[in-house]
Amino acid sequence: MNDIFAIVAPRLLGPALMLGIAIIVRSYGNVGDGFSAGVIVATAIALRYVSLGWRLAERSLPILRRAPLVAGGGLLFALGTGFAGLLVGDPPFTHHPRAGEGVIHIGTLELMSAVAFDIGVFLVVTGSLVVMVHHLARLVEGHR
Amino acid sequence: MSQAKARSSLAAGSAVALAAVALVASLGLWLAGGFAIDIPWAPTLGLRLDLAFDGLGALYAVLATGIGLAVFVYGAGYLPLHLQHAGRPASDGRRFWAWMALFMGAMVGLACARDLILMFLFFDLTAVASYFLIGFDRERREARGAALMAFLVTGVSAVAMLMGAVLLYAEYGTFSVALLSELAVPGTLTTVATALIAVAAVAKSAQVPLHFWLPRAMEAPTPVSAYLHSAAMVAAGVLVLGRLHPLLALDRVVLDGLLVIGFASIVVGGLLALAQDRLKQILAYSTISQYGYVLVLYGIGGELAAGAAALYVIAHGIAKSALFMTAGTVIMATGEDRLSHLGGLGRALPALALASGLAAATLAALPLTIGFFKDELFFAAAVERGPFVGGMAVVAAALTVAYIWRFWLGLFTGQRRVVPAAIPTLLVAPVVVLAVVAVVGGVLVEPFARLAAGAASVTHGTAVLVTPAYHLDARPENLMAIAAWLLGGLLLVAPAVREPIVRGLARLGEAIGPRHWYGRLLQGVSRLSDRLHAAEVRDLRSSIAAVLLPTGVLVALGFLATPTEGSYIVGDVTAGDLPLMVLLALAVAAAITVPRDVGRLRPVLALSVLGFALGAAYAVMGAPDVALVAVVVDAVFTLVFVGVFSRLPPVTGTIRQPRRRARTIGAGVIAGVSAFAVIWASLSRTPIGPSDATEQVRLTPSAHGRDVVTVILADFRGLDTMVEITVLFVAVIGIASLLRRGRSW
Repeated sequence: MNDIFAIVAPRLLGPALMLGIAIIVRSYGNVGDGFSAGVIVATAIALRYVSLGWRLAERSLPILRRAPLVAGGGLLFALGTGFAGLLVGDPPFTHHPRAGEGVIHIGTLELMSAVAFDIGVFLVVTGSLVVMVHHLARLVEGHR
Repeated sequence: MSQAKARSSLAAGSAVALAAVALVASLGLWLAGGFAIDIPWAPTLGLRLDLAFDGLGALYAVLATGIGLAVFVYGAGYLPLHLQHAGRPASDGRRFWAWMALFMGAMVGLACARDLILMFLFFDLTAVASYFLIGFDRERREARGAALMAFLVTGVSAVAMLMGAVLLYAEYGTFSVALLSELAVPGTLTTVATALIAVAAVAKSAQVPLHFWLPRAMEAPTPVSAYLHSAAMVAAGVLVLGRLHPLLALDRVVLDGLLVIGFASIVVGGLLALAQDRLKQILAYSTISQYGYVLVLYGIGGELAAGAAALYVIAHGIAKSALFMTAGTVIMATGEDRLSHLGGLGRALPALALASGLAAATLAALPLTIGFFKDELFFAAAVERGPFVGGMAVVAAALTVAYIWRFWLGLFTGQRRVVPAAIPTLLVAPVVVLAVVAVVGGVLVEPFARLAAGAASVTHGTAVLVTPAYHLDARPENLMAIAAWLLGGLLLVAPAVREPIVRGLARLGEAIGPRHWYGRLLQGVSRLSDRLHAAEVRDLRSSIAAVLLPTGVLVALGFLATPTEGSYIVGDVTAGDLPLMVLLALAVAAAITVPRDVGRLRPVLALSVLGFALGAAYAVMGAPDVALVAVVVDAVFTLVFVGVFSRLPPVTGTIRQPRRRARTIGAGVIAGVSAFAVIWASLSRTPIGPSDATEQVRLTPSAHGRDVVTVILADFRGLDTMVEITVLFVAVIGIASLLRRGRSW
């Protein structure tokens, strides 16, 4: 395998994570959302799988083995943010703060339920894609 | 191992605790007079979360949680032994308890549901849970087949219930049972709709001719049978009938149908119970027969019958679950499950013998048990209907007496054939407790009668009094009871008379019974599916031309038929469009390269060039969001293609099929040209005026956003996104399970 690829691919995860987080943190005002961020991070992880092989990739980053949990947790989290309003009688996906109310900022991060939902989407997309890459990698390397 | 065991018993303990809390809560709510909630959750579809802990809800909730508690305690002792015998890890037990708890929850939900769609949902939830419970021993082929059969028969019939609900909604505009009872008028539509719902209930309660799944379902571990096939799953069917009885009663034809099915089930179930040798099979056929009684009562209709049906369900649930647990304990202690191989266990298992004797007495309606009252009310309602129904009622009760004492006497009396092993107390105690409840009910029937009266009031529509009592006089009920005991005793002591009849019926059922037709039907459907699969894999997937070509031709025909004036506008090209045109030229060049290139990797790279060029074109056109998504998705696809293709065996020689290739090119050209025409035409007619899109752009700032696509995804269409990510998750888990044979990682 190409040397440049072998060296660069595993090191892309850091920048990709940063880009993904940046997309979410700045999400509501700017281009990009949880889905794009998730795909970007998953792509970087997939590159690790391609360059290292699935065993080494998962040994060096054990959290990858928790991908189904991440996806499921993200789904529940998104569900929670979307449907929490039902408890107080709001229709589903009534986001807070409501129109006209002020938004609390921490740096560029906006404390909004819509952003929380986006984080859930991010987790589902990342987790699901990693699960798929994992199985694909197992399938492919199994025949080698 | 010990940790897995501890976690497994923790699961069992939690389930028992859950059942205990649920029972206390149900009893408390019942004594407090119940409650009701009614929340619209999809108002545009008329769907409401309409739950009421009324009389009927109280009865079935108390039954489901009370019997549930007894069975869960029994299961806590039974399951570790069961898993040990099968050589399975103790951790498998956790799955079992999860499904059992879900089943109990679904049952309580169904008991309280007063909305047809909600009832359908809970109904199906019980079917799903039962599938996994009956098929719990999944390494056994028979268990898997039994689970599938139970699921197909009850699940497919449940669709009839949905059809009936939708029919009623179309006519009366509501799914609410309470409103429908007021609005519905007799007529063909109402009759058809209620009959469809009754079909679902009949299948669920294992009534003739849809009864055959229940004996097969005895493949389940005994606690499952003791719960599902005594007081829960099969009770769900009659629960639906009890809830919808005011609607069913609108047409005498539906009630008469129930009456006929009920009697047929009583006779078929009772005779076949006499023919069985396996313990749990006897009880399964007995259940078919016993729910036949309840169907008969609902078919008779009226105040008396409604009360009798409610009390019947209570008494039968208590007795039958105790008997199932008895069978399980005996099988566990001796390793034998045939009546002909067992006998004389009374001295070795005195407590079990006594307790199950009381349960059998309850089923056989002997005095001093609650069972006596179930038959008293049953006879009273039957006599009121007429002499024929009354006579059939006596025959039914006689059959019950015969088969249940054949079961008990065969087990505990006579010559001892096997020596039972020591058994844990947990496998006997629940039976004893249920027997005590049955006897208490026989002495102090008032609380049970009150529970039944509450349920009957819902069934009948107006307040009903249920007043069972001992009367020492020659009233018809007493005479009928004595006649039934005598007739049943005769059947019991004269095997020479009954054997030819029941064996003949059993053989007839095997040859031409509904189970035979179920098998034929399943084979037919399987063959059809194979044929479709073959057609799809062989003919469609390998030549997409078969899809593209007809699509292209159809679109071209559509264009011939529509006026094209003003549809194809060539706009102005300015200097500012230059970057866009360069990118599109690159995309076109890449697209032309893809099919011309040989090998595997180069077409993939050309495809990715095409994708990136289009992504860049979106960016230039001022849609950075779409561009971002296009680029990342394209990157993933390229990576996947490269990853998979790099592992394939190398191409040797050339694979060319000239004739086929020409056809493929032709199909591609036709499809491409028609797609080009469609897109050009639609872009020539950009919509003018307000649309959803402009409205969403206008509203975006008020949702605290500046990027409309993000706001649409997370806010305006948040529910859609939620559904999509759910689909993504489920699909990934599904793919993973397929690749890894049931494991998600």
